[in-house]
Amino acid sequence: MTSALRLADVSVRLGDVDVLRGVDLALDARSIAVVGDNGSGKSTLARLIGGLIRPTQGRVEVLGLDAEKDAAALRRRVAIVFSNPDAQIIMPTVAEDVAFSLRADRLPRAERDARVAAALERFALAPLADRPAYELSGGQKQLLALCGAFVREPDLVVADEPTAFLDGRNAHLISAHLLADSGHRLVVVTHDLDLAARCDVAVRMHEGKVARVGPAPEVVAAHAASWRC
Amino acid sequence: MLTLYRPGNGPWHRMPAGSKAAVLLVLVLAVSLLPTAWPTAAIAAAVCAVCHLVPGVGLRELARQVWSLRWLVVVAFGIPCIFLGVEAATVGTVRIVAAVALAGLLASTTPVTALLDVAERALGPLRVIGVDAARAALLLVVALGTVPTLARLAGEVRAAQRARGARGIRVFAVPFLVLALRHADDLGDALTARGVR
Repeated sequence: MTSALRLADVSVRLGDVDVLRGVDLALDARSIAVVGDNGSGKSTLARLIGGLIRPTQGRVEVLGLDAEKDAAALRRRVAIVFSNPDAQIIMPTVAEDVAFSLRADRLPRAERDARVAAALERFALAPLADRPAYELSGGQKQLLALCGAFVREPDLVVADEPTAFLDGRNAHLISAHLLADSGHRLVVVTHDLDLAARCDVAVRMHEGKVARVGPAPEVVAAHAASWRC
Repeated sequence: MLTLYRPGNGPWHRMPAGSKAAVLLVLVLAVSLLPTAWPTAAIAAAVCAVCHLVPGVGLRELARQVWSLRWLVVVAFGIPCIFLGVEAATVGTVRIVAAVALAGLLASTTPVTALLDVAERALGPLRVIGVDAARAALLLVVALGTVPTLARLAGEVRAAQRARGARGIRVFAVPFLVLALRHADDLGDALTARGVR
């Protein structure tokens, strides 16, 4: 069976630092949380899965595709959401920013407009369609980032600390959208243990290695216990 | 991201972006190439006013554009007035204002996405000398987009400086540069994540 995510002896070295060291993973869950302390390699793992960086050593397979050899095909099937929504806004207005995600696909205008309209509706951004994107609140900007990711109808969404800059209400809203069953798989790197615990499986990273893998509630509880004692 | 676009449904808004850019380019060239004489100033002002009188734009938009050019008007009129006389200074100034206002008409009635398409098509012939038209057009849009972000980052650095009682260009420049470079990195990742390579 093809795992959604398979990493074999993966290491990543950035400058003089071994950020990931011999990571082995084979997971096939719909939603996977990655937890761990700062500097444990979580974000590097997310960037690796999203195809933003290459491993120094080892092999990464995502959705059955080799992350290096099939990079272009993988990018079409994977969407990435980052923690800082300001850095994800490319176009001036909300609707244009969502449409920008489809630009590389060169879709007919009618199809593109229909998909943008549906995505704006889904994320309750339709009333803000013509608003300048940089004028939105932090929560609205992150919703826009999600909307820009989901409009591509990805098979996998990789979210790197998507609730980091948000208040409780907006964090809950973003989590609900990420975890909603809309046919996508999810890999979410997060310090938000409530979000992590609601995933199917969790991976706990520690000093560049996988410290534990298992049902999310158990792994999250173990992670929380590690810094309480 | 800066946007000058004002949503509307008038003739300028409905006209295809490429045709609109061509029409406005012809008008700007015509206004610029007319001889330096009093009638030219009247013609340039009239063309500009008529273009803005079209439903969906309005003279208020023209007034806004002229007001935003007030300091340019002072310089463009004042200096030639001393050396070339009132007629040349007036005609030159009206020409400049009309050209900028006509160009502004394109920006205020065309979504950035459409401008991006036009820029991409216009730069298309440069492919023969190795220019990636899509990338060059995107570069223009992204450059515009970074202006408010950099302004916000500068504000944050200044606020942090004030909070810690620090002053001077160096204590501003170093953290600002670091933040700007980090933003550039993040933006690169965001573009890659959205299918741009």
